[in-house]
Order: sequence, then C-alpha cells, then structure tokens
Amino acid sequence: MKISELALREPVMIGGDATVADAAALMASSGVGSVIVLDGKTPVGIVTDRDIVTRGVARSYPPDGRIDGLMSMGLIAVDADHDLADLVHVFRDHAIRRIPIIDHDRVIGVVSLDDIVVHVTDELSTVSRVLAGQIMFPHATDEARAPSPD
Amino acid sequence: MFAQVGDELIIEGHEVGRPRRVGRVEEVRGDDGGPPYTVRWDDTGRATLLFPGSDCRVVHLTDTPSGTEE
Repeated sequence: MKISELALREPVMIGGDATVADAAALMASSGVGSVIVLDGKTPVGIVTDRDIVTRGVARSYPPDGRIDGLMSMGLIAVDADHDLADLVHVFRDHAIRRIPIIDHDRVIGVVSLDDIVVHVTDELSTVSRVLAGQIMFPHATDEARAPSPD
Repeated sequence: MFAQVGDELIIEGHEVGRPRRVGRVEEVRGDDGGPPYTVRWDDTGRATLLFPGSDCRVVHLTDTPSGTEE
C-alpha cells in the first residue's frame, strides 16, 4: 500500500518567528497536536503540544517567545509514493512520532504513529470479520457452490 | 544550507541517549544545493528525505583533509 492512499491530514505550518502563543492557538483551532515550523517557505522543524509543555511551560519559556526556540530541529520526511512499510521503518529508525509526507517537494500531509495504529487496527478488524464469518458459517460457500443432485 | 551529492551530513544529538547521526547526501532536491536532501543514514543503511535544521552541518567533499581520500 502506498502512503498516498492513507487519509493524510493537512499539514499545519507556522513561521519560525511566530510566538508560542500563536502556535498553541493554531494547534487549538486546527485540532492538531503539532505544527511544522517554516523558515520562509522551507520546513526546518516541528513543534508538538508536548514540546510546548515540557520545553516551554516547564522551563518558564515566555508565551511571546519565538516558537522556533522550542521546536525539534530538522524534519525527516518521506515521499508519498513510498510504501507504508517504508514509513514504519522510518518511525522505528528515527524514533519519531510524526512524519511529513512530501509530493514534488511540497509537504502534503503529516502521518503520526497513531495514524498507523488506527490503519492497522482497521485492517485487522476487516480480516477479523471475514474470519468470524468463515468460523460461524464454515460450509456456506461450499454449499452454495455444490452441484445440485438433480 | 548548501550541499551536493556525496557530502556528509551530521546531526548532533541534543538529548541523553540520542547519539549524533551521520548520513551521506544522495540527492539534492532544492535549488542551488538547497534542501530537501535524500540522505542515506550510516546507522540504518536506509534513505530518507531531510529538511535540515540548524543543528545539522554539512561536511563537503572538498573539506576532506588531503591525503585521507583513497
């Protein structure tokens, strides 16, 4: 399965010179837990709600301080035409929880580790329903296909 | 930031238990050597796209001390 087939969330981005309060407000209004930080048009980092708490609030970083002071620097990204398995490898190799997805060098979405868990759970649920049907009605398809004795 | 194919990219670890990461630039996608870069990481052998942050530095091919290249 290609990454592009996942239901990607729109990337939410903010300039590095925005304030922490601006970023928090953007997260709240967009219903996301992270924003990609830009330097001009180039992504340079990512900030999560947890970063704001642990690097900001816990260390008395001012709400009007620049958001790039709290961000995780650098972004590991993956092309949208890669397989989902590649994405899982990247999550594992880099110990990160969110990966921007790129199409023609543009960020088109962000996939979180939670998204992968939800996707895999959905797939398992589908397989489980098929399996349950086969267990409950083991010969249903055989009978349907069996030739008539007449 | 400027890089070219073959350059080494180094990201310093900022947290305990997070070592520095070293990779090799395989592709430069931005204009004039700018990011993003396709980087193959030494520790995993796999390649990813990287938009480097300010904690990332490039060791250019030409920075290699003379006499150390084969």
